[in-house]
Amino acid sequence: MKHKNILVVTNLQKSYNKRKVVKDISFTVAEGEIFGILGPNGAGKTTTLEMIEALRPIDGGKVTLGGINVAEEPQKVKEIIGIQLQSSSFYDRLTLVELLNLFASFYGAKVNALELLSEVELTEKAKSTVDKLSGGQKQRFSIATALVNKPRVLFLDEPTTGLDPQARRHLWELIQTVQKKGITVMLTTHYMEEAELLCDRVAIMDKGEMITLDSPKNLIKNLLKKGFTKEQHVEQANLEDVFIDLTGKGLRE
Amino acid sequence: MLTLRWSRDPVALFFIFLFPLIFLLVFGAMSRNDSVNFNVAVINHSDTAFATTFEGQLKELKAFKVKDVKSFDDAKEKMGRGELDSILELPAGFGRPDDKNVPAGNVVVYFEESNPTTGQTVASVLQQVLDEANQTLTASTDPLAVEQKATKTTNLTRFDYTLAGIVGFSILSLAIFGMANGFPADKKTGALRRLRATPLRASQLILATALEYLFVGLLSVASMFLVASLLFDFSMRGSYLTLAVFVLIGIFCLFGFGLSIGGWAKNENQSAPLSNLVAFPMMFLSGVFFPTFLMPQWLQNLSQFLPLTPIIDGIRLITTENASLLDLGPELGIIAAWTVLIYVLAIRVFRWE
Repeated sequence: MKHKNILVVTNLQKSYNKRKVVKDISFTVAEGEIFGILGPNGAGKTTTLEMIEALRPIDGGKVTLGGINVAEEPQKVKEIIGIQLQSSSFYDRLTLVELLNLFASFYGAKVNALELLSEVELTEKAKSTVDKLSGGQKQRFSIATALVNKPRVLFLDEPTTGLDPQARRHLWELIQTVQKKGITVMLTTHYMEEAELLCDRVAIMDKGEMITLDSPKNLIKNLLKKGFTKEQHVEQANLEDVFIDLTGKGLRE
Repeated sequence: MLTLRWSRDPVALFFIFLFPLIFLLVFGAMSRNDSVNFNVAVINHSDTAFATTFEGQLKELKAFKVKDVKSFDDAKEKMGRGELDSILELPAGFGRPDDKNVPAGNVVVYFEESNPTTGQTVASVLQQVLDEANQTLTASTDPLAVEQKATKTTNLTRFDYTLAGIVGFSILSLAIFGMANGFPADKKTGALRRLRATPLRASQLILATALEYLFVGLLSVASMFLVASLLFDFSMRGSYLTLAVFVLIGIFCLFGFGLSIGGWAKNENQSAPLSNLVAFPMMFLSGVFFPTFLMPQWLQNLSQFLPLTPIIDGIRLITTENASLLDLGPELGIIAAWTVLIYVLAIRVFRWE
């Protein structure tokens, strides 16, 4: 694990109409790691993420991101993070290049739009509008817009939901490339294999509480230590492996 | 960037350029027709040659449009329906020489009882014609006579005065109906949600939108003036530069209303009725459709402080009286006060989603 914590969350709380949706959560994220939050729908993953991103007021507790107190200086925090939202969209009638330039202007930055598009493998779509993109392409473009300000932390809220297996694998590779550049990635997901494969550490949330937090390997090890056994299976592959074997890894877009 | 996005939207193009022009053509055509015309029917019961010539002369008159009727009763019925303003009857024997061997007789002018003004006007026009005829027939000149001459002191037509109202109306609809739906549409798709995740502030978004569209608004107004000059012989008394600066200030002010509505509304269902609620009183009270001096005094006092009134007055003063920006101090003062007020409100009530 890396030594320096880029994100420190202490006793974070949020209530809607007196119902506590995030209850007293504390954790840290180290610089350069991929940190995953797992949990069923309504567990409070998105709310937690949006409080950290300065998109939602914090009811209680404290969040420090890159040394900045999020509640006190939300604008400053937005400067150093990139966000891919679960349900959002982009202006219509503008091309990908125009949109990237527009987003860069929000940070007072200049960006090489074509270079950024080639990083997310959308070079040939440079002159298209967002509505002409497939689901996977849209998610990759969304990540590109979140990278215009060279953020220190990239937030991805369920980035692979609704994508086919090929597009999902492709996005995993992209997330790993982002990590190699030294950017910390924080993501939420429903997919266990995604968390297992991508994340250095995962936190599991349920009913607004953080139940556990460790590396995927340790979590599994601990479960087995408790004497957990699963119905024995000899196959070293699953249906998805069959699907990928038959249809190939190539992207369908 | 927003202008670019806008320019790729054919519907927006229609509403910003064609719609005001259509409006201009309709209202322009209505106000250009400034000569008074009366629809009359001539019933000739006389068989004299003089009467026939006289009937021909009536048809030549610009003030009358002589309509064909079958009978006197038919004419009366038409007058009842408003198709005719007046019936002129030449009684039997009209134009028969009298004892001095000069054609004589009375023309009877019939008019609706409820509309005596029309009857009087028709009669006085007719009197003029008869006076002239009398003079030629008796070959004498009245020693004293009144000479009537209509003058247009500044050579401005009614259209030149109407134009300011038409321009004001189109700025208002562009600013309110055009701007109020932009934000709600972007909220629906989630595009604004995404912008919120960047350091962009609501105030920056609102001001940037207003500034980008200023240029579009100016272009729209310029196209109206171009058409006004080409088709309606619009005569400009003032400076186009002054006009452009003033129009920009006016558009910027009114944009604040559209942006406030759009920024507050969660969706089009909220923005549409609110737009109407704001736009219609301004439209009717600010002298777009009829002059404010026709309204009761208290309403005039009120309308004076609406943002659209000083904009329309200002445009009119520039185009018809060559007013400078300094002359327009009071108008600019009211506009400035509204501008500050409405943009503070716009930023306060803005919602990202």
